[in-house]
Amino acid sequence: MRSKLRLGEALSWLGAGLMLLACGHLEAQAAELKLQTQLIWGTDDSKPPEGKDYKPVEPVILKKLKELPLKWKNYFEVKRTDFAVTPAGTKKVPLSEKCELNVVHQNNSVLEVALIGKGKEVVRRTQSLPKGEILVLGGNAPNATAWLVILKRIE
Amino acid sequence: MEYQNQLKLQSYLDEELPEDEAREVANWLARDQEAVALLTELRQTRQAVTGFEDGIRLPESREFFWSKIEREIQRQEAHTKEQAPRIPWALRFRRFLMPATGLAVLALLALVVTREGGGSASDSSVETALEDSGAFTYHDDSAGATLVWLSYPADNEGADNDDWDSLE
Repeated sequence: MRSKLRLGEALSWLGAGLMLLACGHLEAQAAELKLQTQLIWGTDDSKPPEGKDYKPVEPVILKKLKELPLKWKNYFEVKRTDFAVTPAGTKKVPLSEKCELNVVHQNNSVLEVALIGKGKEVVRRTQSLPKGEILVLGGNAPNATAWLVILKRIE
Repeated sequence: MEYQNQLKLQSYLDEELPEDEAREVANWLARDQEAVALLTELRQTRQAVTGFEDGIRLPESREFFWSKIEREIQRQEAHTKEQAPRIPWALRFRRFLMPATGLAVLALLALVVTREGGGSASDSSVETALEDSGAFTYHDDSAGATLVWLSYPADNEGADNDDWDSLE
């Protein structure tokens, strides 16, 4: 009898814990997403162009880039922007004078991302972006280099 | 004399006996001197007590006196209710937790189903290349990364500017 009571009590506390987790998860779902964009330059050169104070990309991003089918040896961070987008909200993030990223928070962790280049929409993509995952938009650049736009979810 | 007979004599004196029993007691008194002696003693005692009785006069009205009693009864009843055995808070909390457990499990199941329904990046991805028909997509689950490779800017645009500044 006593053991049944203890089991019931343990299950009850477990339930309470699960309920708190569920509530936290639901709250997180309803909250805004904190994101980060990084404009990256990919090159085989070991240094950034003269006169540019680009820093090497952070190790976490570098590790992910190395696992992708990209051929460049070094990646330098040109610009970084942190921003937040509310549920059903839209955010325009300027990447350069010619490029910007339009991010729409659709639901949960699903985002619609549109890359605008010289005023024209180049690509539009809808996908979920769980915490820790990144979306990389990229293309070839002059002199066998590459441009990359990384969208990373911070929270 | 038996105790029951003593009580019967007292009842006879107080005229509380039915008529037939009162007749029996009267007959019994006619033949039993001990019973007569007890009845006499009881009657004298009653007279003595009655003589010393003094009417009690209440300082307030009858209604007010009884209302005080009524209030006191109500107060004691309320106090008794307050002192009813308390259920330990842990037991009461457990009663709440039992259904909460079920709700929590259901909520978590719903979340898992929703999450699986939402799918991973590769499942839910929808891509529309507008200006760039040559785009391709690569997703690496282990790296947690999705790569969308574009031919933007077009080669002829890149040719206009021969360095990285064209992208900035």
